[in-house]
Amino acid sequence: MADVDAGHSEVVSDEETSKEFMCPICLDLLYKPIVIACGHICCFWCLHHTMDSIRASKCPMCRQPYIYFANICPLLHNLLMKTNHVDYERRGKETLEIEKSNDCFSSQDIECLNSCCEGTDENKISISDVICSGCKEILFRPSVLNCGHVYCESCMVTLTNDKLKCHVCESIHPGNFPKVCLDLDYFLKKKFPQDYYHRKELFQSTKVRQDQYLNQSSCTSAVVGENSKIEEDLIQMQNLHPCVGCDTCGMIPIIGKRYKCKDCKESIGFDMCEVCYNSSSKRQGRFNQRHTPDHVLLLENSSLEEVPE
Amino acid sequence: MARGENQVVQTNIHNPPTTTVITTGVAHRIEPSKRVIPAVRTIDAQSVVKRLQSELMALMMCGDPGVSAFPEGDNILSWIGTITGSKDTVYEGMIFKLSLIFTNEYPFKPPKLKFLSSCFHPNVDTSGNICLDILQDKWSSAYDVRTVLLSIQSLLGEPNNESPLNTQAANLWTNQPEFRKMVVKLCSPPIEALKLN
Repeated sequence: MADVDAGHSEVVSDEETSKEFMCPICLDLLYKPIVIACGHICCFWCLHHTMDSIRASKCPMCRQPYIYFANICPLLHNLLMKTNHVDYERRGKETLEIEKSNDCFSSQDIECLNSCCEGTDENKISISDVICSGCKEILFRPSVLNCGHVYCESCMVTLTNDKLKCHVCESIHPGNFPKVCLDLDYFLKKKFPQDYYHRKELFQSTKVRQDQYLNQSSCTSAVVGENSKIEEDLIQMQNLHPCVGCDTCGMIPIIGKRYKCKDCKESIGFDMCEVCYNSSSKRQGRFNQRHTPDHVLLLENSSLEEVPE
Repeated sequence: MARGENQVVQTNIHNPPTTTVITTGVAHRIEPSKRVIPAVRTIDAQSVVKRLQSELMALMMCGDPGVSAFPEGDNILSWIGTITGSKDTVYEGMIFKLSLIFTNEYPFKPPKLKFLSSCFHPNVDTSGNICLDILQDKWSSAYDVRTVLLSIQSLLGEPNNESPLNTQAANLWTNQPEFRKMVVKLCSPPIEALKLN
């Protein structure tokens, strides 16, 4: 991957990149990366293993509580496929083997961004691989939504009216603004220094953006409040479905009503929380379930509340 | 998700929980679906080995002064760690050996750590057991051998005297010169003495 966009980037060796995008759990190259709301990155399965099934999970790095198992980030997935092609393929094979033996799969069709599927210059990355889903420019202080789509921190404010809604997939981001993914930010700064600093200067000179940014900061502090509310709900064990997660928004355990698909044949099942059930989302399951809109979902009265002492 | 279905479901909510519902709740607890740690563990043994090998490599490449660790014999799940007491603490120059036992659930569950050398410390009992939150409920999968040993090294100099395992040590802590005397008397010999032997 030498000569990447000569003129505005220094050459980053494979080794360095793999150190940058190393999963803190398996200590290997990230595979099917998930960015948690606090901005830390883990492999899909590594994160899944660390999660708590009866109360809020905590980020392995910063301990910030969260209850949404986010979607795999397609941008990072495609980026790693290019920058660390050999290792990423190896990780893919290893993971698939484990998945086969457990008969439980991670999502097998992660959306391709840009030209990643066309196969030209496979291992070369360009700015088009790291653009914001909002402003379509190189990402500056990137944050990742629960759906896995990446925006500049400053562009994220434009998504919100009442709720934070992704422009790409139209899904509502549960909770408040996610924090900046510093690992990706560092990578961008290093890989595309000129473009990155150009964005930075633009950002600093635009007062409007700065104001929005200030608004956003106040929103971010609200996250703490929300998290403590989550904790409260969980402590009360009200309407809590232990070990069951929503396949649409990733909430685990499901708090409130649980709808279970009676047509999905996969052993892991397919469930939805009340919010997602009512939003009639068409997202497929996180575990590659072949759920379709014509499947029937039934209300499950299996929360802890009903279980006698 | 037909509309009619939805309505049927909605009316069900208002029914009081019946015995059948309760059974569903109980049965649900043993239902394997969505369990965060899957029951199948055979392959995971490989990932434990892989992770420990990466850790060993990193430790050998850039070892921190004062802590080291190495697998004991052929078993990668059993390590021996060494900690040197930090400068300007009562443990300065002392060397402590510890055993680290990993399970197949590592790093999702903490390793079991124990002092092999005798260690006079408020949070270490006479059998070498250590009372440290990160080795129990505050464990995170992002910790590794290096960070765990560094945490124990700093615990030596900053004990938690609120919940002591060794009350004698906890009571003596305020008297640092006397404490040092006890450390020298009870703990493993300092580096100089080792060299003489």
